[in-house]
Amino acid sequence: MTGFPTLWQVALREITERIRSKAYLITTGLTVLIVLGLIVAPTLFGSDTSESSVGTVGDGNDIIIATAVDLGNANDEPDEPPSVAIETIEYNDRESAETALDDGEIDAVLVDGDEVIVQSVGGFSGNSLMSGLQRAAGTVQIQGIIEEEGQQAADIIEILTSDPLETTTLTEGDPEDGDSRTLIAYFGLLLLYLAVLLYGTWILTGVTEEKSNRVVEVLLSSIRPWQILGGKILGIGSLALLQLLGTIAIAVIALRVTGAFDLPPIEIGAVLNLLLWFVLGFVIFAVLFGAAGSLVSRTEEANTIAMPMSMAAVVGFFVSISALNDPDGVVATIFTFVPITAPFVVPVRVALQSIPAWQYVLSLVICVASIGVLTVLAGRIYAGGLLRYGGRVGLREAWRSAAE
Amino acid sequence: MLGFLGPNGAGKTTAMRTIFRLLRPESGSVTWNDEPIEPDDLLRFGYLPEQRGLYPKMRAGDQLTYLGRLHGMSKHDARESAFGWLDRFGLADRVGDPVESLSHGNQQRVQLAAALVHDPELLVLDEPFSGLDPIAVETMSDVLREQAALGKAVVFSSHQLDLVEDLCEEVAIIDNGQVVVRGNVERLKDSAPIRHLELETEGDPSELLEFLDGVQSTRMNGERLIAIISADTDVRGFIAHAQQAGKVRHFAYKTPSLSDLFRDAVR
Repeated sequence: MTGFPTLWQVALREITERIRSKAYLITTGLTVLIVLGLIVAPTLFGSDTSESSVGTVGDGNDIIIATAVDLGNANDEPDEPPSVAIETIEYNDRESAETALDDGEIDAVLVDGDEVIVQSVGGFSGNSLMSGLQRAAGTVQIQGIIEEEGQQAADIIEILTSDPLETTTLTEGDPEDGDSRTLIAYFGLLLLYLAVLLYGTWILTGVTEEKSNRVVEVLLSSIRPWQILGGKILGIGSLALLQLLGTIAIAVIALRVTGAFDLPPIEIGAVLNLLLWFVLGFVIFAVLFGAAGSLVSRTEEANTIAMPMSMAAVVGFFVSISALNDPDGVVATIFTFVPITAPFVVPVRVALQSIPAWQYVLSLVICVASIGVLTVLAGRIYAGGLLRYGGRVGLREAWRSAAE
Repeated sequence: MLGFLGPNGAGKTTAMRTIFRLLRPESGSVTWNDEPIEPDDLLRFGYLPEQRGLYPKMRAGDQLTYLGRLHGMSKHDARESAFGWLDRFGLADRVGDPVESLSHGNQQRVQLAAALVHDPELLVLDEPFSGLDPIAVETMSDVLREQAALGKAVVFSSHQLDLVEDLCEEVAIIDNGQVVVRGNVERLKDSAPIRHLELETEGDPSELLEFLDGVQSTRMNGERLIAIISADTDVRGFIAHAQQAGKVRHFAYKTPSLSDLFRDAVR
């Protein structure tokens, strides 16, 4: 048996041994629990309606509160619970209202329709109530002015709460899809980043472990370095993809069941494109991590040697975040052609429809070619590093001592 | 069966690693059946490295099956062979235990099974006896004899020369990376220029030395005289003198031991 069947055996061992290990089961279970918790918890403890109570002193307050509720709920769907609900409590004088505010019975006090009192400045919910009341008060004032001209209050509210300009784009496709594509790209970016750091480390420590417990000498006496490294990447990569896809599937199901968050429609093309770049990115980093792992003899040293790769992943991540804002910029264009950052940047630019076809193809060619070149280079470093024990092996030393 | 001997640092492990293409020879080549060794040939070789190594958390049975499969065996054959060897070493009930939970001696047995699981044509064992108790040494010796009897080529290195003498028809002694002695053990011993002579009598045996030619060195071990003499010395006259002098309690005339050849070769 030569070549790929052997590589597959190595991959199979990685998969079965890791699935069997308690550590893998525990991390998988925890990941699923955390994801479920993040989705389910808000629907259990929170409600979609922002409720507050406002105390009133004097006249001219009710119309402001009624307008604030109307404005806050203007974009609601008819079958959903209202976004804003305000309870009104009347007080006879300013002092008693202030006491109630101080005791936390109410969130704010409106006085004579021209003053608002709050406990203190700050906090998200306080500010949203404040801005709601301010906006309502302004609307009421405009309403007063325009009513003299004979206009209807409802028309004003319509104008103030809707987007008056219709949106179209120059590129093809429904602009509504843009949100979905950006979300998928952003999500994919995050997953690639996490996968590189998490599963890249598995490859790194896996290689170092084989070296430190000397099993690698037994392996290398029968099979070739590229088969070990390739099998490891295939095995751990499949496991990574399985764990990620499983988690995503659970998240999507939980989102659909709880309805906690509206999922935009998902385009199969965007997902496949993302998957392609995810695999490319993972393999590039995995090869580098594997070669690095062969240079050290103890797992403690592995973290130090992983630094350059982790830094590269961080750079790729931030460059692509900036590409989200400026997908046609010089930075985004340059990093499209750097193999270790391209898998981060290209999906974003594809999602934002701002990558010319020739750049996409060139970047793909560069990535695939560099996987080939890196595998040969890393394979040689790996082969040379594996049998040198004791401390860190220099790159040059590993390169020169490789047997082929 | 070839005993591969040499002082520490002579290059035994390096030579063995070179066979398995783990190291690139600076000069010379490795051949098997007069052909240079190709990567595929390695699948028919078994290797017990000096630095023992297995996956500590992997079950013994799975581990051996995996190594068998890496050597191209079918899943069924690999499993059968793995379990067979574990059974042979009395570890049948430990098949499902992780290797790290086995005692040191048992880990050594699993390691040997790892070299044997794919039924190799050539066994290369680096210090297979180091760290083994006498019973394990016995098992190991039996396995090696058996493999040799099956027509397998067995090469092993060891510093336990008595064992080597006991097991091997042939030895190669290397020093500083060069083969200094090589050949059939008995013939090497026969062709050595010296012989050992031991004598214990009622009187003082050293008084008889004047009747012995070609004496190179002597020493007393208790009441026993041990002399190293030239191989061409005729000892018949000496025996007659010894018998006249008094009762002979012990007499031996031997070819030198492998240890003597070894010391002589690497001096």
